[in-house]
Amino acid sequence: MTDLLARFASWTPELITAAGQTLYLTLAAFAGAAVLAIPICAMKMSKSASMRGFATSYIEVARGLPVLVILFIIYFGLPDVIPSFRWNSMSCAILGFALQGSALLAEIYRAGINAVERGEKEASVALGLTPLQALVHVTGPQAFRIGLPPMGNYLVGLLKDTSIASIIAAPELMLRAKDLSSSSFMPMPVYIYVSLFYLILSLPLSQLTRMLENKRVRQ
Amino acid sequence: MGSMSGFWTIFWAKLSEFLPNLLVGFEVTLIVAAGSFVIAMSLGLLLAIARQSQNRWASVPAGIYIEFIRGTPALTQLFIIYFGLAQLGFSLPGLVAAIAGLGLNGAAYVAEIFRAGLQAVPDGQRQAAISLGLTPYQTFRHIRIPQAVKLMMPAFCNYAIQLLKDTSLASVVAAPEVMFRARALVMETYLSMQIYVLVGLMYLSISIPLSILAGRLQRRTVKMAGAAA
Repeated sequence: MTDLLARFASWTPELITAAGQTLYLTLAAFAGAAVLAIPICAMKMSKSASMRGFATSYIEVARGLPVLVILFIIYFGLPDVIPSFRWNSMSCAILGFALQGSALLAEIYRAGINAVERGEKEASVALGLTPLQALVHVTGPQAFRIGLPPMGNYLVGLLKDTSIASIIAAPELMLRAKDLSSSSFMPMPVYIYVSLFYLILSLPLSQLTRMLENKRVRQ
Repeated sequence: MGSMSGFWTIFWAKLSEFLPNLLVGFEVTLIVAAGSFVIAMSLGLLLAIARQSQNRWASVPAGIYIEFIRGTPALTQLFIIYFGLAQLGFSLPGLVAAIAGLGLNGAAYVAEIFRAGLQAVPDGQRQAAISLGLTPYQTFRHIRIPQAVKLMMPAFCNYAIQLLKDTSLASVVAAPEVMFRARALVMETYLSMQIYVLVGLMYLSISIPLSILAGRLQRRTVKMAGAAA
């Protein structure tokens, strides 16, 4: 037992560093997805049927594919087709998660904007705001508040999904755990221990999301 | 390989060779999905009942289970079941580990769907059933569950899509599903783009119809709720 505790202690510094990398991957992918989702949401809500069609196809494909397939296409497939494409596994993972996440966030943005009463926008336009000003100052902030809990749920899901990046050898928690497991021949304690790291990262986020959800329901 | 046209030339030339091989794997994908779906649904219902129980010895462990599963990656859970159990002397075949792992994982999510669905049925339904002389079990079985299931259908559909995508993780515990076969095929042929695009199309052939179905069910549920209110 003391032997095992000593092992846990010796694994801790490496796993803390790796948790930082997991956090970096999560936040970078989230930021990428949040930005990329804006044009997709705009296209999805556009008056042009071809724009809407493109956005719908993008969303259905990105949501319908396992993220592992997306990562493999980017990491193994792209360099075959475009020989000059040489991104490391971390960048490929960020890109892959951002592409998939942008489809989910675009739908969350759209649901948020649609949930704001029509009258809000009409009133702003009647008061002389341009449609863009109405979006930025009136409907946007309200939509953001509505979209916050689902965005939180997405972030928690993303944090856990980043473990899949270990399969393309991106340096994060799960990859470090695999290394520790094969060097120590102790997969059970290693994977249980790394689970605790994920729990410590995800539980505060999911609690916060739940609080926001409850607050919204009460409103 | 070079250009995009080269990509499609090879894609069509190799299709008749790759497709039968990958379809065998896709069949295993569907078996993994179906097997873990059954485990997740049955265990999920039990967990939801335990979670809502007045008995703390049932509700607290169920709550801890749900939080642990939902707070950790499915990949980590698969590794615990496949590599972790092997260390303790219980070596499971990859396919069994994948079905068990994804089933145990899904149960926590399904339990939350059941809980939300049961909470959405107005309590008056339960009170009316009890006052008409139905036992608590009869009330649950014949009054609350049938109404809740209707509300839960879209969420179950979305769960099925998520599960189908998650089966790709079974490839890392050597379950011979489609991603596992695709990786072996890439090793042989080095045609990674063609093979992974083909695999992607296979997943989409199931996930897109399911997603359209989920959307329709969702609209119907919203309408139903609107009519009831």
